[in-house]
Amino acid sequence: MSPIDVAIIIKARSDLARRLGVDENEIGEGEVEQTDFPDASLGAPLEDEMSAQVITPGWRIHLKAGGETYEYRATTRQLRLVNFQGRNYRV
Amino acid sequence: MSRNLWLNLSIALVLILIAAFAGRLHKWNWHRPSQQTSHTSREREETATDPGSNESDSSKTEVLVRFRSNVSRDAIENITSRMNDEVEDRIEAVDGLEVIEDEDNRSADEVVAQYRALSEVEYAEANSEIKLDHEGAGKHVHANDELFYKQWGLFNHGQDGGKPGADISAMQAWAVTKGSDQVVVAVLDSGVDYTHPDLAGNIWTRPEIIKQYEDEDLTSEGAVDDVHGFNVVEDNGDPMDDNGHGTHCAGIIGAEGGNETGIAGVNWTVKIMPLRFMDSDGAGTTKDAIEAINYVINRKRAGVNVRIISASWGSTIKSRALEDVIRKAGDEGILFVAAAGNDHSDDDAKPHYPASYDLNNVISVAAVDRNDELTSFSNWGATSVDVAAPGQQIVSTWLNHGFEEKQGTSMATPFVAGVAALVLSTNPSISIAELRTRLLNSVDAVPSLKYKVATGGRINAAKAVVSK
Repeated sequence: MSPIDVAIIIKARSDLARRLGVDENEIGEGEVEQTDFPDASLGAPLEDEMSAQVITPGWRIHLKAGGETYEYRATTRQLRLVNFQGRNYRV
Repeated sequence: MSRNLWLNLSIALVLILIAAFAGRLHKWNWHRPSQQTSHTSREREETATDPGSNESDSSKTEVLVRFRSNVSRDAIENITSRMNDEVEDRIEAVDGLEVIEDEDNRSADEVVAQYRALSEVEYAEANSEIKLDHEGAGKHVHANDELFYKQWGLFNHGQDGGKPGADISAMQAWAVTKGSDQVVVAVLDSGVDYTHPDLAGNIWTRPEIIKQYEDEDLTSEGAVDDVHGFNVVEDNGDPMDDNGHGTHCAGIIGAEGGNETGIAGVNWTVKIMPLRFMDSDGAGTTKDAIEAINYVINRKRAGVNVRIISASWGSTIKSRALEDVIRKAGDEGILFVAAAGNDHSDDDAKPHYPASYDLNNVISVAAVDRNDELTSFSNWGATSVDVAAPGQQIVSTWLNHGFEEKQGTSMATPFVAGVAALVLSTNPSISIAELRTRLLNSVDAVPSLKYKVATGGRINAAKAVVSK
């Protein structure tokens, strides 16, 4: 699998900054790891969402802000925020 | 000696020579590579399955022998001749793999042992695991499709480190049936690329006598021109796939077989009804899944012989409404085959829906690898998961008329749906309860699946199509 496109990380940082109401400069970048997710929802289904049960290669992106760590999951086609205030989101 | 006697002797000699030469011709016919390769697979299959042909006498022992790559054709002929055996057929997709017919009434074990003892032989195995007691007995049909050699789920001869025989015995099943265009399988997924060259001939088209799908609540026009199926995401009659997942699943069930192109489906001939309820990311809503199942029920009531829904999707969310509509599909005579999930967890403890609905028409499917081991990702369930099927490194049809390798219980599910369609092709009036029982009673018991799935086994197409 090719390295992650920087644009995906930029998109995740922008999304998190917006949700937290902070400047993007306050978002720190943690570990980015390549992984296989269990399904097309990247193991982070929305409420009431069904997904294809196919192993899906992608990346786990960790971002930091205000002493907390936030997890995004991405493929070349989609980006998800995992368990943010108890819910998953498609970005 | 009189002149007449000389004449008679001369005629007799000529007749003997003709007979002897004809005999050699017969043997050359089977051994000459150029002769073999000039036939299409379909032609070879007709020969191999002709009940009246001496070449496929089911009373004779057949073994599958793979000779090492450095063993020439002449050497193979010499070896088989020395053993008083005949090369009954060559499996062109696998170098050195021959179907050998024993000519002197030895048991399969004896013949296998004899070949295994030879340094020229990589492996030898009996072709007698499945005892067929009617048409198709002891026979097999192989496909000439370009990528068939990669399709270990259909024919596992040990390629890429796999375990020979860890497959669904498709070639033996094809000796009985290669499917029927009278059987319709709904692929409830991200749609299907119905223009894919290896699928197009097996895509369902609504017959003119069946009216368009009508649903005033869904569409502004009140009707959908469902030529090839239904797109719930966009409420129209174009279920074109823009993800690839549905196209992959459709290929496993019914890519055209024996066309020298791409792959072979479990069914060479079938009708795939494409349904799109998941978007380009491969995700959809419970409500759209329900709408799609409702469509299938409607089409069944309208006269379409859709008997199977293949559902390679799910989540841990339980929906009473989804359960109800799947039950309703069962009432209408529709089998629902579903993926057990890829969380490597126990569905008995943490159910995965729709596979975990305890309904009479649901079959929950786990995934095995090419060594007949439960895959590292597959869910299991000693009571709630019914059966396993090949689900790792599965090559099938993809977008842009291509082919890709994927893994998941998503891939295992259409193997089971495909075998169900094969059974229906020869038993069109079988009930869903009978069909389900037949599929689950005809598995190959696999040690790794004991206490992992209810049947303790992997699906076997050959046994399913002949069992009662």
